[in-house]
Amino acid sequence: MSEELRSRANEDGGFAPSQGASEPEPTAIAALALGADPVGEKARSWLRAHQRRDGTWAPVAGPPRPTITATALAALALEHGDERTRALDALGRLRAPVLAPSPLRGWGWTPRMFGWVEPTAWAMLALKRHRPNARGLIDDGERVLADRECVGGGWNYGNRTVYRQDLGPYVQTTAVALISLQGSEQRDLVDRSLHLLRARWRDEAGALSTAMTVLALQLLAGASDPDLAAARDALSREIAATVSFGDTGALAWSVLALAGDVDALTVS
Amino acid sequence: MDRRTFLLRSAEAGLGVTALGLVGARVLRHPRKPWDEAAFAPVRPTSVAVLRATSYDTDLEGTVLDGLRAIKADVRGRQVLLKPNFVEYDASTAINTDPRLVAATVLAMRRLGAASVVVGEGPGHRRDSEYVMRSSGLLDALKAVDAPFVDLNTAAVTRRPLRSRYSTLRELWLPAVIADRKTLVVSMPKMKTHHWGGVTLSMKNCFGCAPGRIYGWPKNVLHWAGLEESIVDVAAAVRPGLAIVDGITGMEGNGPINGTPVAAGLLVFGHDPVAVDTTAARLMHVDPERVNYLRAAKRFLGQGDPAHINEAGEDVARATHQFNLMPEFAHLRPGAPTSTKGVGSGRSSGA
Repeated sequence: MSEELRSRANEDGGFAPSQGASEPEPTAIAALALGADPVGEKARSWLRAHQRRDGTWAPVAGPPRPTITATALAALALEHGDERTRALDALGRLRAPVLAPSPLRGWGWTPRMFGWVEPTAWAMLALKRHRPNARGLIDDGERVLADRECVGGGWNYGNRTVYRQDLGPYVQTTAVALISLQGSEQRDLVDRSLHLLRARWRDEAGALSTAMTVLALQLLAGASDPDLAAARDALSREIAATVSFGDTGALAWSVLALAGDVDALTVS
Repeated sequence: MDRRTFLLRSAEAGLGVTALGLVGARVLRHPRKPWDEAAFAPVRPTSVAVLRATSYDTDLEGTVLDGLRAIKADVRGRQVLLKPNFVEYDASTAINTDPRLVAATVLAMRRLGAASVVVGEGPGHRRDSEYVMRSSGLLDALKAVDAPFVDLNTAAVTRRPLRSRYSTLRELWLPAVIADRKTLVVSMPKMKTHHWGGVTLSMKNCFGCAPGRIYGWPKNVLHWAGLEESIVDVAAAVRPGLAIVDGITGMEGNGPINGTPVAAGLLVFGHDPVAVDTTAARLMHVDPERVNYLRAAKRFLGQGDPAHINEAGEDVARATHQFNLMPEFAHLRPGAPTSTKGVGSGRSSGA
C-alpha cells in the first residue's frame, strides 16, 4: 500500500485529495505516512514551499481562508525549523473566538470560527508534541473536547445535542480526539471514549475510520491491546476498497496505521 | 455547548451574529437585488410532476421515466451527475435518498439517452465517505447498475465567483465536475424537515457539492455565512438542471438527521429547483412563502408562485401529506399565526 501511496505523488512533490492539484492536508498526511522516504521528503519540501506568510496553509491554491487542520497536520509532519515554528505560532493566534459566558475556544475549520472536534484535536496534538509549554492553549483544547463529549462517551464532529436530542458519536472523530488526548489527566474522559471506540469500531467499517481506530488504540492502549490486532486485520482487508475509492488521506492514514510507526503522533 | 446555545451566546457576545428570527426579514426585505441580473434568466412559468410511489420495491425505473417524461426532460447526449443526499447514515431512520431510487434513476437517464451518468456526494457530517456510501447500500446499488461514484469532498475543485450575494460568501470552490457547464446536475434530495431552514429539499441538497475539506464538517463555513442565505447562493452557483425529490419515505420532526420516517409515497420532478421545492413544501403542508430561502430564491432563481407552476400527475392539494413540524416551526403551516420569533438561521455553527 505504501507503493500505491508513493505512486500518487504529483510531479511537484505534493499530493491531491483524490486527483488533481496538490493540497496541503493530503500532502501532510502522506509525509507523516512516508516518513524519511524520499517521496515523503519531497512532500515536506512541497509543504515548506506552500506555507503562507502568516504561517498557515490553505486547502487549495487561491482561497483566502487557511484551514486549521492542514496547518496542524503540516506542523506535525515538518521537522524542527522556521516553518514549523511559524505554523505553531499561527495555531496559537487563530483559535475560535470567546463566546461568553463560556470561556472555551478550541479551533474551527478556518480561523475565528466556532470550534469543532477535529481541528481542535489536531491543533492540540501539534502543540502537545512541539510546544508542550503552551499549557493555556492545550488545556483549553482539552476542555473543549470534554464539553463536546457525547452522552456515554466519544465524539461526532462536535455537537452533543440538537433541539433537546442527544447526538451520537462517530468512530473516526472519536479516534482523532483520543489521539489528541494522549497524556491527558482527564482519565475518565479518555477511558469512557476508549471503551466506546472498542465497542463501536466494527460497526463503522470505512478504512479511514478503521485506520484512525488502529492509531488511537496503539497510542492510548498500547501494542498488546486485543482490539488493536483485530482492527489491523480489518484494515488490511478494507484497504483495497479504499484504494478504489480514491481518498488519498484515508490511504495515507491506513499506510501509517499498518506500518505501526506512530512516533510522529506520539506525545511523550 | 449545543449550537442553539452557541447562537444565543454569540448574539449576547455582540459578534454580529443575527438574532433568531431576524434573518428571514433581512432575506425578504433585502433593499437591493443581491444578484447579477445578467447571470440569471427571467423567472418563467415551469412544470413539475408529482407521482405516487408507495414502495421502493416497485418498478421505480418506470416511475422515474414517467416523471421525467411528464416534465419533458431531455437528457440526450448529456453528461449527467446525480446528487443524492447522503449527509450522514443511520440505519434506524430515513436520512438518505434511497439507493434503489438512485440506481433506478441511473437506468432511466441511460434509457433517455444520457451520454454518461455518475453519482456524486460530499457527506456533510462525515469525513469517512466510504463508510457512509458502503453502509447505506449506495455503493452496492451503483455496482449493480455499473455506475461510478465521485466523492465531492475530495474531488478536484475550481473557483466560481458567486453571482448572487445573500450570504457573506463571495466565491465558492466547487468540484470541477459540478462547475463544468456541460454537466447536468440532478439534485435528488430526501423530502425532509430541517431544524434550521424549515424544510430541506433540492436547493439545500446542493450543500453536499461544497467540499468538506474547504467548508468543514458539517459544512460549517456555509452555516457561518448565514444558513438560509447560503442555501440561496450555493443553489444559484450549482444550478441543478433537474430535481427529483424522494418523498416515498421522507422525514418529519427534528430533521434532517434525527427526525422520524414518514411514508408520504411521493416523488416530485422538475427542471426548476425553486418550483420543485415550492411544490414539495406544499406537499408537506408547509407554506413555501414562509420558508425564508424559498421566498428569496423566487425573486431571481426560479419559479416560486404556484399559479405559474404547471402541475402534472397528482393534484398537489389532494396529495398533501402533512409532515410533523417541531414546535419552533409551527409558523410555517399555511394559515398559522406568523411569528416574529420564527427560526431563521442567521449565522449558525453548523449541522
